[in-house]
Amino acid sequence: MPEHDPEQELGPKFTSALQNQAGAEAGLQKTGLAQEARRRVRRRRQGWSMAAGAVLVAAAIGGVWSLVGGESPVATGSSNTSGDSKAAAPNRSFEGVMPSPAPDNMCPLEHPILKAAGPDALQASAGLDLATKVTGLRACRYGFAEGGTGLLGQEVFNAAVAQQVVDAIKVLPERNPDLPVFKCAPPTAKPSEAIVLRFDTAAGVREIWVEYDGCESAGFYTGTHTYGLYSAPLKLFMTGSVRPSGGTYLNALKDW
Amino acid sequence: MEAALAAAEVRTGPPGFEVWVTEKADALLRFAYVLTGDSSLAEDAVQDALTTACARWARVSRADDPEAYVKRMVVNAHISWWRRFRRREAPVPEPVRTARAVGDGTAARAESEAIWALCATLPDKQRAAVVLRFYEELSYAEIAQLLHCAEATARSHVHRALAALKTTLSTEGAEDA
Repeated sequence: MPEHDPEQELGPKFTSALQNQAGAEAGLQKTGLAQEARRRVRRRRQGWSMAAGAVLVAAAIGGVWSLVGGESPVATGSSNTSGDSKAAAPNRSFEGVMPSPAPDNMCPLEHPILKAAGPDALQASAGLDLATKVTGLRACRYGFAEGGTGLLGQEVFNAAVAQQVVDAIKVLPERNPDLPVFKCAPPTAKPSEAIVLRFDTAAGVREIWVEYDGCESAGFYTGTHTYGLYSAPLKLFMTGSVRPSGGTYLNALKDW
Repeated sequence: MEAALAAAEVRTGPPGFEVWVTEKADALLRFAYVLTGDSSLAEDAVQDALTTACARWARVSRADDPEAYVKRMVVNAHISWWRRFRRREAPVPEPVRTARAVGDGTAARAESEAIWALCATLPDKQRAAVVLRFYEELSYAEIAQLLHCAEATARSHVHRALAALKTTLSTEGAEDA
């Protein structure tokens, strides 16, 4: 006796049962399907438009941020010297760098250091007491050489880095005995450049002058104290446009 | 903005979507009903499929058989993992008869009810395969394509359902005797 194909035998029963059930079901909502579909499509497209807009805004913000923070840790409004490009700045983390400087802490184009006879000219009232809490730092690099006088570059750092710089300086001795002592002629005694560290404090901006070139003096000057020139603090702020290409005393420091 | 989008859609959208839906809504809903076994799920699946079709109506309307195209969307919507997750439906390992045949006086009606009850116990893909095979009369190759499985798997789905039906009807016949 031939075996029946179950599909041929039972298939029609399925077909009949399914058609019966489909025909018997009269409670299905048949109206408004197209309108609801259009409404959902519109709503979906609106959602996409809004999402796309949000992405564009986020991308624009991200673009501006990377533009500001990519080339240099901060926007340097002043000119930069060609010497900076020679100096390969260490690839330091930018997490301590702030993108927008406080207006009252801008590096002055005409700073007293440009006319000072030496670092001792820093007034105690303008200098930073290293016990003071600092909330920000702007490093300003000034040139004294003929044809290169003025502000050479500036960088902004956040409170954490500012405090690190202070902490690194205040433990230093008055002078670094490892640095050479020169007997140089007056034309070469004056440094070709120096850096002014402008700290934000509760009392306003307070400064430390950093001397590292010439042959007269080297170190950190607070107006009341002098600290020897060591590389530990320098590494924290000598980045980007405030990183010199060299200097008489810097050349003697190996790891600045 | 919504009005502008609507106006743009009217200007650029291919005509005939509303007319087409009016003509085909009944067939789509019936198909979805036998596929899902539930009125609400059927309406939901058809509405989702029509929403997708509306967004792509220019392409859907150019298809050889737009109705088949949209039915495929209904099947896809029904067997999609997220929809199953939403339903929280757990497939049973073996089809089990859950309802007795209604003794309304006609054997055919009772058999039809028994088959429908059996369908309710089938896992989603097995049920879809049965519906596509016996309601839509598709080939196994077409079913396999729709269910994203091998043709042998589609054939297996149908044959397992048939075997379960045979068992059910045999048991019922024995009980009646």
